[in-house]
Amino acid sequence: MLQEIIAFAILGFAVAFLIKKFFFKPKKKKDCGDGNCGCS
Amino acid sequence: MSVQNINVALIGNPNTGKTSVFNQLTGLNQQVGNYPGITVEKKIGFCKLPHGIKANILDLPGTYSLNASSMDESVVIELLLNKNDKLYPDVAVVVTDVENLKRNLLIYTQIKDLEIPTILVINMADRMETKGITLDIPLLEEKLKTKIALISSRKGTGIEDLKNLIVSYKTIQHEPCLNTFDIDPEYFSSLQNLFPNQLLYKLWLVITQDVNFSNLDRNEIRNAFTKSHSELKRLQQKETIKRYQFINDVLKDGLKIDASMAKDIRAKLDRVLTHKVWGYVIFLGILFLIFQSIFSWSTIPMDFIDGTFASLSSWAAEELPSGILTDLLSQGIIPGIGGVIIFIPQIAFLFLFISILEESGYMSRVVFLMDKIMRRFGLSGKSVVPLISGTACAIPAIMATRNIENWKERLITILVTPFTTCSARLPVYAIIISLVIPSKRVLGILNLQGLTLMFLYVLGFATAILSAYILNKVLKLDTKTYFVVEMPNYKLPLFKNVGINVVEKTKAFIVGAGKIILAISVILWFLASYGPGKDFNEAEAIVKERTAGKQLTEIQVENEIASQKLENSYIGLMGRAIEPAISPLGYDWKIGIALISSFAAREVFVGTLATIYSVGDSDNEATIKSKMQAEVSPSTGKKIFNFATGISLLLFYAFAMQCASTLAITKKETNSWKWPAMQLVFMSGLAYFVALISYQLLK
Repeated sequence: MLQEIIAFAILGFAVAFLIKKFFFKPKKKKDCGDGNCGCS
Repeated sequence: MSVQNINVALIGNPNTGKTSVFNQLTGLNQQVGNYPGITVEKKIGFCKLPHGIKANILDLPGTYSLNASSMDESVVIELLLNKNDKLYPDVAVVVTDVENLKRNLLIYTQIKDLEIPTILVINMADRMETKGITLDIPLLEEKLKTKIALISSRKGTGIEDLKNLIVSYKTIQHEPCLNTFDIDPEYFSSLQNLFPNQLLYKLWLVITQDVNFSNLDRNEIRNAFTKSHSELKRLQQKETIKRYQFINDVLKDGLKIDASMAKDIRAKLDRVLTHKVWGYVIFLGILFLIFQSIFSWSTIPMDFIDGTFASLSSWAAEELPSGILTDLLSQGIIPGIGGVIIFIPQIAFLFLFISILEESGYMSRVVFLMDKIMRRFGLSGKSVVPLISGTACAIPAIMATRNIENWKERLITILVTPFTTCSARLPVYAIIISLVIPSKRVLGILNLQGLTLMFLYVLGFATAILSAYILNKVLKLDTKTYFVVEMPNYKLPLFKNVGINVVEKTKAFIVGAGKIILAISVILWFLASYGPGKDFNEAEAIVKERTAGKQLTEIQVENEIASQKLENSYIGLMGRAIEPAISPLGYDWKIGIALISSFAAREVFVGTLATIYSVGDSDNEATIKSKMQAEVSPSTGKKIFNFATGISLLLFYAFAMQCASTLAITKKETNSWKWPAMQLVFMSGLAYFVALISYQLLK
């Protein structure tokens, strides 16, 4: 039973990792976001 | 009490040894922010300085000035103009080459005028004697209003002095080198009046550079100071002239060169290495040597790794308590990891050779040599760098096209670069070549397997160039083109730099690809170990009924059951569904599964087959290669991995766009889905067609 729980947990992690990797790539911030980039 | 790390930006012209300084300061404490290869984005490392101060060291792309002409140069300007960037430098370290001080100082004067504390590093001090160069450091420090570190990053001298200067960066003068008003007093006075709280030189960069600078409205400034493009260019030229006048004045007394003392073999070497005949012969000879070595030298460590993982699988199956987790480990995870680790030797050797060529200065000669040829095909000499670095990975290679100024040449280079043989193809090639190409000698010295590998690399380059030729004719984009390349001095490659490069790139492959391969191996194992319906769930009874009366050993019956289960598992059903489309190419459904799973990344191919064959085979101790070698077609009884199928697979992988990340980076760099879609359709179609023809001719 314990083996099954661990094995299916590993499967869950693997699926979640691939979904995150290929479908939810974090977007790079183009600016500092607060409208003040400290130019002054 | 926690002390905040200071940010130190390493800036300078290309080929000044900036990355060597970075390596000297950080050692292996590097966090590779971008893909390894040519520095096309920021790279961060960590360094402990005197007095317990810690520093984040930023290695920025090589740039000639703050007037960006290519995308990688914009990275530097964006960082220097954005005080709120968490990596905004507390101190800039401008690295220069003692032999090219005049040109290298241009960017120094510009950064100084941004009022960022700036230290000047004069690198390659070990060459001063042979080149007859003497420097008056105190005078240079006084005129350039800074502190100077005279170092040799190759020999590691002067690095401690540099660290001490970084620590005391607050004592450096903020005074600019050039008074911006001098460029055009009337224009800059009115600009300053409108924005009295802004630094004038920053305002000027906002007007002239197309970079991110969000709290100032660029349009507002531009509209207030309407100048035509040509007028702005004229002012930029005036600025550059004024800066060089300043630099000439500084160097007049600070730098002396005694030409009679200079001993130089560079010109002699260049005559041979860039010769219109011998240059190409030598380049081809070097390529031969590299590919022969990759195959010959890697065999022993690869066999060792393969055997070790096979034993580990066997050990896990026998020694761990039986159950689903043990099966997952012995048949899914261990063979999956083995399918990645096994290729470390070949990848490390490939990067070792490429790093040596880059470090020695030879690569720039190759760029120069190839420019004439490349131009005929619509590419630039600079396209050679992406095409060669594409042998590591197409992603940094596509990013490296940013230094190609001409858009059409850049676009064509982006589109054709995925044809070059990346390191992810190497595992696929290596295993299939070892299965279908005999390891025999040709002409007494050349290994046939090595020659086949070289042929595939050449095929990749040739297809890239041919495709570029077609695209050059098809794409209707007219842009002016020019070619400028810097020829660095020849150097003996530094062991430390080469070592770091090899470790960094091999690690990137193993960590980046390894995680994906491992995750896919786990999923594949589940799909191969479970299935719907009677044919899967009652496999044992079906096989026993089918084999009743036949003289089969216990192991043969076990293999029959494993095979029946695999064929009716979820993955087996998926594989058989696509079999009609791939059987004309010589592939069975198991190879079909590997083709599908390797769409995300090519290197998954071998790991997939390792998992599938582990599930479908009761012998845990056999290696991946021996399992593939033993695989026979149930219908014909012939080996699956025969010569015709092997060649068909090699050609399929030579051309197919089996890499989701490359498509993503093409989209990012071209800002359009049109180009990656074209890449996908064209490359996949070509791969299918060529594999089909080759199998039908050879079977």
